[in-house]
Amino acid sequence: MIELIPAIDLIDGACVRLQQGDFSKKTVYDTHPTTVARHLERLGFRRLHLVDLDGAKMRRLCNIRVLQDIKKHTGLKVDFGGGICSEADIETIFSAGAEMVTIGSMAAENPELVADWIKRYGAEKFIIGADVYKGEIAIHGWYKTSNMPLTDFIDFYTTLGVRKILCTDIARDGMLNGPSTELYQSIMQRYPELHLIASGGVAGNEDIEMLDRKGIPAVVFGKALYEKRIQPERLFAHYGIAKRIIPCLDIKDGTTVKGVHFDNLKQAGDPIELAKTYCANGADELVLLDISASKEGRKTFTELVSQIAQNINIPFTVGGGISELSDVERLLQAGADKVSINSAALNRPQLIKEISNKFGSQVCTVAIDAKIENNTWYCYTKGGSERTDWELKKWACHVEQLGAGEILFTSMDHDGTKNGFANDILAQLADCLHIPIIASGGAGCKEDFLEVLTHGRADAALAASVFHYGEIGIPNLKKYLKEQGVNIRL
Amino acid sequence: MQVAIIKYGGGNIYSLCKALERSGAETILTDNPEEILKADKIVLPGQGNAACAMTSLVSLGLDGVIRQATQPVLGICVGMQLLCKSSEEGHTPCLGIIDTVVKAFNAHYPHQKVPAMGWNEVAIEQNPLFASWQETHNKASGYVYFIHSYYVPICKWTIAESRYILPYSAAVKKDNFYGVQFHPEKSGKTGELILQNFLSL
Repeated sequence: MIELIPAIDLIDGACVRLQQGDFSKKTVYDTHPTTVARHLERLGFRRLHLVDLDGAKMRRLCNIRVLQDIKKHTGLKVDFGGGICSEADIETIFSAGAEMVTIGSMAAENPELVADWIKRYGAEKFIIGADVYKGEIAIHGWYKTSNMPLTDFIDFYTTLGVRKILCTDIARDGMLNGPSTELYQSIMQRYPELHLIASGGVAGNEDIEMLDRKGIPAVVFGKALYEKRIQPERLFAHYGIAKRIIPCLDIKDGTTVKGVHFDNLKQAGDPIELAKTYCANGADELVLLDISASKEGRKTFTELVSQIAQNINIPFTVGGGISELSDVERLLQAGADKVSINSAALNRPQLIKEISNKFGSQVCTVAIDAKIENNTWYCYTKGGSERTDWELKKWACHVEQLGAGEILFTSMDHDGTKNGFANDILAQLADCLHIPIIASGGAGCKEDFLEVLTHGRADAALAASVFHYGEIGIPNLKKYLKEQGVNIRL
Repeated sequence: MQVAIIKYGGGNIYSLCKALERSGAETILTDNPEEILKADKIVLPGQGNAACAMTSLVSLGLDGVIRQATQPVLGICVGMQLLCKSSEEGHTPCLGIIDTVVKAFNAHYPHQKVPAMGWNEVAIEQNPLFASWQETHNKASGYVYFIHSYYVPICKWTIAESRYILPYSAAVKKDNFYGVQFHPEKSGKTGELILQNFLSL
């Protein structure tokens, strides 16, 4: 998650922006920086990059009062830069309340002195500004260039323990023509632990979203925000819950099995060991279904649930054989996070309401098995053995109204085929529902997962045999999905 | 290392106990003030609705006990929200340790579902609760597991931020009081690290 750092540049106590550091190309946005800072805080920002441009030009601190005033009236964490020449300046800035100082020209001109400051105050309090022009460090408000390669510069400061490097491509700053993503990516490749702060060229939300996708740790922006090219609300709205990858353990008599079209059971191992392995491999959640339960009316193995809860540290859902509230209570007490009900809900829909009223809707997953017949999807009960008169979408909307927290949808036509999920009907379900959908049935290759999480619009994808038999490794699958731009926990 | 888990309702804390035990703690589930104040660490777990939770804390006389605590206290989920001044959930006053108001999520777009449930990313600040994070994650962020409909806004006690609909506090800290909005016991290795760090405070 990229750190979002709005900037306020100061000239004569007012909030301005320059183009490529040129004082003759300045725009005054607001004469009261504190008002701007308070507004930024209200928008939800936590950080502020405060730059004393007079100071940078005059080589002495000129706008310390502004810093004091902003710290007095906001809770923003502020780094202050511009015009810092001596240890006394640093003392003044910290006394005025700044959490960090940003060292620009001095970092290139007098690295030995800056190194002393870093040792004295601690590396975590320093942001080192690297103004880059054609791969070299530029200095002193951009009126001079040095011959120092950027990498030598970064090496010097990272050796001292500095992690925050504010890198400005000065060819782009204030130009609103997009950030130097390739430059930042190449730096991150070389220094993966760096807290690189990208600066310059940000023209809108898309640029920030792109830097975030490329794994750039932080970004500074000014002009684009003041010119309303960045919409902060939309910026935050873009973040969301990661898509989940869920292995499903179908359990019969204490061992994991996977049914192909719901019969022909094959043994796939010890559920506790399997659960631990999935957990270590990056599964986001587990589903344990006691598949014999619906058919033979057996109760879920509470003991197994409790052993699994002792051994894993991710959420898991338990299903099969739940017909009343006491079953739910017993399973939750054994350590399950959610329960999944299927036949019992079709049998007595009010059970959904009872569960969600008593334990919260997040506990109640409704599993739906459906099959297409003359262009209509019908819901099935009793482990897929009996057709009901419920049309899929009607039933799904009904269970949502009753308080279901999530739908686990299995297309019986796709299940076990390894030809991909039922993406069309899943996308239609997503249109009419407001609760998350777990897609199940048909996973064969990693592209199937990408398809269902994008075009199928599922919130989670569930599979069993491809995981149990090692045909798809979860770490590989998740890496692939992340590379394809899916929000995935790695 | 004894951790008192405050008992004040019928919520499910089995996984939390087991996670703390896996991290080497001895857990005791109790509503006894003496036992609570004697423990090395205190955990205030989350239990459903904030107003109901507050009512039961007050009726057990535990609100004052928590405020008195000088050892590290960790509020989880609603437990973190209870550390605040008040909550919009049931419009209840809370413990008032952290001077901010707990607010309800208001979705603006269809994909923003409430409750916010699932894995979301947090950006952390340097804090002992997040010790060794950099070494294990290689960056100042990571994914943890959330289920909540209410949030603690960003405030000066925020030590980790998350974003869902808007930015909010994923973790807060004031003096010996820590709060996490997510469930560390369900947050994989990241959650385990946080629980271990809490035990080491």
